[in-house]
Amino acid sequence: MLVTHYSITKSDLFDLLARLAQTSRVFVPYSCDSQRSENIRFYFGEFDPSRESAVELGGVRQSQPFKSFISPARETVMGGNEPGPKPAQRHSLRSGTGRVIVAGVKACDLSSLILQDYVYLKGDVKDPFYAFRRDNTLIISCDCTYAKETCFCVAMGGRPYPTKDFDLNLSPQDGFFVVEVGSDKGREIVDSYKTFFKNCKNRDFSGRDSMRENVGLQIQDFIKKRGTPDTAAINGNVKKSYDNLPLWQDAASTCVECGACNLVCPTCHCFLLFDESARQKIGRGKVWDACLYKTFAKVAGNHNPRKYLYERMRNRFDKKFAFFPEVLGYFACTGCGRCIEACPGNIDIREVLKGVVTGKWKKPPHD
Amino acid sequence: MINCKNPYSYIEAEILNITTETSNIKTFTLKPRETIPFLAGQFMDVSVPGVGEAPFTPSSNHKIADKLDFTIMNVGRVTGLLHEMEKGKTVGLRGPYGTAYPIAEWKNKEIFIVGGGVGLAPLRALLYALFNNIDDYKKIILRYGARTYKDIVYINEIETWKKRAANVDIGVTVDVGDELWKGNVGLVTTVLKDSGVDINNAVSIVCGPPIMMKFVTFKLLDMGFKDNQIYLSMEKNMSCGIGKCGHCRIGPYYACKDGPVFTYDKLKNLPNIWD
Repeated sequence: MLVTHYSITKSDLFDLLARLAQTSRVFVPYSCDSQRSENIRFYFGEFDPSRESAVELGGVRQSQPFKSFISPARETVMGGNEPGPKPAQRHSLRSGTGRVIVAGVKACDLSSLILQDYVYLKGDVKDPFYAFRRDNTLIISCDCTYAKETCFCVAMGGRPYPTKDFDLNLSPQDGFFVVEVGSDKGREIVDSYKTFFKNCKNRDFSGRDSMRENVGLQIQDFIKKRGTPDTAAINGNVKKSYDNLPLWQDAASTCVECGACNLVCPTCHCFLLFDESARQKIGRGKVWDACLYKTFAKVAGNHNPRKYLYERMRNRFDKKFAFFPEVLGYFACTGCGRCIEACPGNIDIREVLKGVVTGKWKKPPHD
Repeated sequence: MINCKNPYSYIEAEILNITTETSNIKTFTLKPRETIPFLAGQFMDVSVPGVGEAPFTPSSNHKIADKLDFTIMNVGRVTGLLHEMEKGKTVGLRGPYGTAYPIAEWKNKEIFIVGGGVGLAPLRALLYALFNNIDDYKKIILRYGARTYKDIVYINEIETWKKRAANVDIGVTVDVGDELWKGNVGLVTTVLKDSGVDINNAVSIVCGPPIMMKFVTFKLLDMGFKDNQIYLSMEKNMSCGIGKCGHCRIGPYYACKDGPVFTYDKLKNLPNIWD
């Protein structure tokens, strides 16, 4: 029988990442120190063995969404004089194998991939830039070792540990990791660096499973305390709440239209094509767009089908909780909680969803 | 054809001719470097290189694939710059996108076309497509409304359409009459009922400003047209053209790939479609 689980010591894992960094660009999460532990944030950065002590593969989801590796915030799609994936290569990949390895990716980012792939890879035409990056990005995911109060993945049908869509997954234990192989690409790494990977013992699994269970219970506790509705409760209710204007007006009352919720969201995929020219050279770029921006749906002659902010707020929820379930069968929210953290207006997606389910809700006053 | 290697890049096209239709509408005849086959109803993105692009439906006969007409109203940044361009200059073309009018399904039917303002542009492409096989259709009826006489597009061509064949019936009305206009005065909605269309064997195709489309649709329903007999051109902010960028969503559809033409039965239960 094919072995799917291994164990690797922490120091061997760092050695492995250093070896991989010789032929690929390797990104890992770094923790930003904070006086208060609940304020620790994690950011992806290029792997630097001299900063090993700041690397945190476990922890909770990073502040940046993983989507930025496969659908970058800004990229050139025309005018590098070369069509196809070359501009993508120029902008984010080092020569060599052209591969990017991202370690420490969390389950709430992985569960957005089915949506991003649907948008960019399905249909009559693929996005060749996305396809190129997706093919050339290896994902080493990692279980969450604790949860933040903003975490609600379990309500959205997720788990605080990856179950699919990874190449290798790490489950942090005391001084070592349980490794699960999730794809042929992941298998290739294990086969190429056999000496780093040891057989798993039964107690490794029990350690992993109890941590997974504990983090899951922690999230369930947060969900219960707040009364965050789950997918079954939300299903169909955004459509039903469409004409409940006070609900959407309340939800939008402190929105400053910064678009932060869109930009940090792992499932938001909308982009803007823009043209520019400088010194006789003409280029076309693709940049993340945000449906909270006033111009998002604007058409010719200044006509705007969503001229009011509450209409744009409602549209965001309609897209995530009505459109995607209808066309794909998935809610476009993974419960990562980034939008809650990013919003300067204290708009909390969980509170809005509670309003959607109950039909009544008044935004608590801003503190 | 869409460039699958890079769907965001355009083909360069030379401006062969510019016809001034009204004070703010011009028809640009473009010759792309490579022929771009399209069908009536599909749209393309026209770019001012290095500045921006906007979606338009070709207004010419799709049988002439090496030269395409785009009838464009000066209403914004890109259209303003297009209006400043001269013959011989280069623009970009990307597409075609979206679905075509299903004219093959309309054989032996009466085709009831209702246009408003610059909305006649895609309908001109439709008329030419129908004229290509004119005997396939029992009747081709056009009712076109413009604000005033001066706002009528294709004014000379309309006269030739009237004489095209016995089964072609063209009627033009203006919202506001003046001494230059000898014809009917009144909104296009007022000239639909007496068009003599056989509703049981007809389809209606509507294109114009959202407010006009809304009231024409209600009028058609009132006359007895069924939801699935009414074809509407939805104006949305189509950008990428391939259902990825997210701008042109209408309920479960993207106007760029599932439209831009929809039958009313697909739209009628969706909120705010006329906004």
